[in-house]
Amino acid sequence: MNDRAGPNRSAIFLNKLKTYFSQPYNVILLLFGVVVTVTTIAPIVAIMKDTFSIHPGTIDQHLTGMTSGYTTVNYIDLFTGQMAKANLWTPLWNTVLLAVGTCVVAILFGGLVAFLVTRTNMAWRKYISSIFIFPYIMPQWTLAVVWQNLFNSNAVTHTSNGLLASLFGINMPSWWCQGLFPSLMVLGLHYAPFAYILIGGIFRNMDANLEEAATILDTPRWKIAFRVTLPMVKPAILSTILLVFGSAMGSYPVPHYLGLTTLSTKYVSMNSNRTGEASILAIIMMIFGVAIMLLNQMSLKSRKSYTTVTGKSGQISKVNLGKVGKYIVALALVVVTFFTSIFPIVSFAFETFLPNPGDYSFLYTGDPKNLTTKWWTTDENVSENGMYGQKGILHNEAIWKAFRGTMLVSIACSLIAGTIGTLIGYAVSKNRRGRWANYVYNMAFLPYLMPSIAVGAAFFILFSNEHINLFNTYTLLIITGVIKYIPFASRTSLNSMLQLSGEIEEAAIIQNVPWIKRMTRIIIPIQKSSIISGFMLPFMTCLRELSLFLLLCTQGFILSTTLDYFDEMGLYAFSSGINLILIVTILVFNTLVNKLTGASLDEGIGG
Amino acid sequence: MKKRTLALLLSASMVVGLLAGCGPKDPDPSQNPNPPVGDQETQKPENNPPVENLTAVQKIIKEAEGMTWEELAAKAIEESNGKTFYGVGNSSRGKSALPLFIDALKAIDPSYDMTFEWQQPKNNKIFDQLTADGLKDTGTFAMTLIQDGNQIESKMVQTGVLDTFIPKAWADANGTTADAVTGYLPLQTLNKVFMYNNQGSKTYTNCWDFVAEGEHGLFMDIDSEIVGKNFLYMLTREDYATWLKDAFEALPADKQSQFQGTIDAMASDASDLGLGANGKYALAWIKLWVESYAAQTDDGPICNTLVAKSAADQFGLLVYSKLRSVEESAEVSKNNINVAAYDDGYQGIGGYGYCHYLFVTDNSPLPWTACAFIYYMTCTADGFSAWGKDMGGYSSNPNVAAETEETYHHSIGGMSEDGTTVEFECKNDRGYDWWTGEGKLVLEDPEYCASVAFTVGSWIEMLTKYAG
Repeated sequence: MNDRAGPNRSAIFLNKLKTYFSQPYNVILLLFGVVVTVTTIAPIVAIMKDTFSIHPGTIDQHLTGMTSGYTTVNYIDLFTGQMAKANLWTPLWNTVLLAVGTCVVAILFGGLVAFLVTRTNMAWRKYISSIFIFPYIMPQWTLAVVWQNLFNSNAVTHTSNGLLASLFGINMPSWWCQGLFPSLMVLGLHYAPFAYILIGGIFRNMDANLEEAATILDTPRWKIAFRVTLPMVKPAILSTILLVFGSAMGSYPVPHYLGLTTLSTKYVSMNSNRTGEASILAIIMMIFGVAIMLLNQMSLKSRKSYTTVTGKSGQISKVNLGKVGKYIVALALVVVTFFTSIFPIVSFAFETFLPNPGDYSFLYTGDPKNLTTKWWTTDENVSENGMYGQKGILHNEAIWKAFRGTMLVSIACSLIAGTIGTLIGYAVSKNRRGRWANYVYNMAFLPYLMPSIAVGAAFFILFSNEHINLFNTYTLLIITGVIKYIPFASRTSLNSMLQLSGEIEEAAIIQNVPWIKRMTRIIIPIQKSSIISGFMLPFMTCLRELSLFLLLCTQGFILSTTLDYFDEMGLYAFSSGINLILIVTILVFNTLVNKLTGASLDEGIGG
Repeated sequence: MKKRTLALLLSASMVVGLLAGCGPKDPDPSQNPNPPVGDQETQKPENNPPVENLTAVQKIIKEAEGMTWEELAAKAIEESNGKTFYGVGNSSRGKSALPLFIDALKAIDPSYDMTFEWQQPKNNKIFDQLTADGLKDTGTFAMTLIQDGNQIESKMVQTGVLDTFIPKAWADANGTTADAVTGYLPLQTLNKVFMYNNQGSKTYTNCWDFVAEGEHGLFMDIDSEIVGKNFLYMLTREDYATWLKDAFEALPADKQSQFQGTIDAMASDASDLGLGANGKYALAWIKLWVESYAAQTDDGPICNTLVAKSAADQFGLLVYSKLRSVEESAEVSKNNINVAAYDDGYQGIGGYGYCHYLFVTDNSPLPWTACAFIYYMTCTADGFSAWGKDMGGYSSNPNVAAETEETYHHSIGGMSEDGTTVEFECKNDRGYDWWTGEGKLVLEDPEYCASVAFTVGSWIEMLTKYAG
């Protein structure tokens, strides 16, 4: 009797389960929730374990007298040893300053240009808009090399004279040439396109009525800027900080080239004799990533919305810079972007025709004998003509093998990260208030906020053991790249899916249209542009990524490590040639995608 | 104290959280690490262990050490025909040597073929790579060509990742036997030498001139190329410290007075570090050098800078062989630099010598082929030609060294075609014997480096270079 009257709990549970899994987005959330949890947590656990392991031939062996086992000596020595200041506190302080400074430069510069392009009548806006994104396309340390080539001097940096010193005899001070200032400027310029696109997007789409209303109420301009415009741009600024802070923190090549000791550079230099302590540095960088994510969560909770309470104007006004002013401002930006975007490319191209690296004899002799095509055309493995046994770029198997490797990794990362990210974005948008959905989204986003060098270190440790040894394999690079770049796609996908009314899909559901068809025939075509950006960004970022892959493969494996190798070796003709190859590749792909789909890169940076 | 408590608390909480799932660790076989192996003149500790204690690869090595080239080549052909050979090394030229090796085997058996891949990790990654590969039952890499005796000793040899193979012909040429040879097998010695740009007014007649006030030598950052750190460690060995003392005493009084204060201040540190009587001279030179050198990413950029006309009065400590790749132009010439040790009257150390060592991995997938390749590189001029064709690399096999000189004439590499006119003085390589004698090259000793890595090494890390 009781059996018939009482609820059948297992049947209810099964029914609930069936209902739950009948929704594709729940399946996606469960599946990828597990995947991103494992792929994010496992490397962290591996690197934490490494901080307690004893490494033969390093300080922990010296201090413990053991060659294997576990110890806390790495923590004690790093935090309290006599090297604590040099190995931890100073690099940590420098890293924070670098990350904060980079955010400030990127937001100020990118935001200003975004404002000028979208909200003023400045001349040549289209040109400036396109050229402004170039520093992000190029590997970040190429700007550092350009900075050195411009400002270094025998008198101050004790190296050969840069352009300013050799042409005008100007010796820039040491703080300008090396250390924090040039590092944050270079990284700030590199990441300014993030701010430009995010803030520009808001400027372009923001409801001008709010400002108009304030104007009607006779509010002073400064007050409008601080009380109306800035609060509206605040989410974009926060997004920029979110994206740039972790990236700047984890940048290895820029501080390395410009002589700033950060946690990243210290990680690499300590890894040989203080391996366990280096892993603690990686953990500290990761903690910053988590902290940034938590701050972002807090800011999301406190986001305000605004509405007008007075008379509205339908017109969108642009600030008038004046007849002359609009050209002067544009000219200033053209000059600045020349040095950040055009000059590097011209100097890369020129460098590939110099007889010796940095040998600018041609400039003052005008003698074409002081130019050469050997860096491109030499087809023999010879060392006598100053090529260090390398073949010319066109015939250099190592470079083209690395190019193929880079394309493989980039395309694979783009397709896999793009697909997973898009699905996660879709699933989260369908279940926005669900805790699990938020967890999956945040867990997927976490690797992006963690500094690249730390993520690379964690994956290196995770996959270098007696069971799985993936060092120097494309598999490892693809796995790491995918985990790191899923947020590009999940973010763009979520943002675009949230703009899509649920009724559209519901209508299809009523018509019994299967999920796959709903996705491929309705949702993806509508949000094509954003989704493609979610695929393009991992591709482009992967193409010139170094910090993430530095510890995972040898040079010559992919193009960025090859480029870094030639740069370090001082064979600037090769590194410049590779830079040109990268830039051309990105531009070709961007144009191709733009022509085929109408989507373009700058529509989706950072979501 | 607070920091220590914080660190301990943090560590303890992480230990509890993490190690709970790690399971019991294996009985620690490592409580007492092997003592460092000796240099090439002393017995290696595991030189003659009982055969039953040898690993599979070590047994093959033992057998191979008694073989001629023909016997070893036959084994290699049998083992690796149609397979892929993976090597890893600090020198990219392993990639050039392998095709020559394959041709040599083809000369014996025309049907022989082998593909290969040669990797050259940078930034010390070779040790991580070999350690990770060493965890597998059968590794990827058959052999390695590796530098930095200090890390080789502590990370590779004591841990059993790498094994030394001494070719019979190499032992014969050096008047010894495989069993009597200790330490590692060097392929070659490379030298980093002091060079300065001569387009200005400065001259450098004593190694102390390089650390005088206002001088900033160009040098690869000792954190990115650890052999540079080994150079500094070696200076503290009493014989080299004495060279520095002798050079100091050869300075005129006014110059001596510039350094005397620093030298005196180092006396107590030298004593604390257990250095010899002249250790204070070494520490003073190291301190002044570390706090003044302009760190560079590689020797390539240093060479590019120094040979330019505009680099007047600059100097550096860089690999000698980099001069091979300088192309003459209006701005750049090899004649714009002097090799300091070649100058008449120069006093003190002329540079630093370190070795490229050859090892078979203890889990080598192709141990016979690895041994044959090592034999080929160390016992034939053709095998060494990938390095021997350029100046500044000296084969450890005297026969090969002589044949290489006969073929490539590095000692007159700077003469014009008529053979009598000096075209580029700096390119007349005076050879290994001169450099290690009159040229006062400081030679790396892995055992000594390993013994002071965390004493002198930590002292170096306390210098102001590391403060910012």
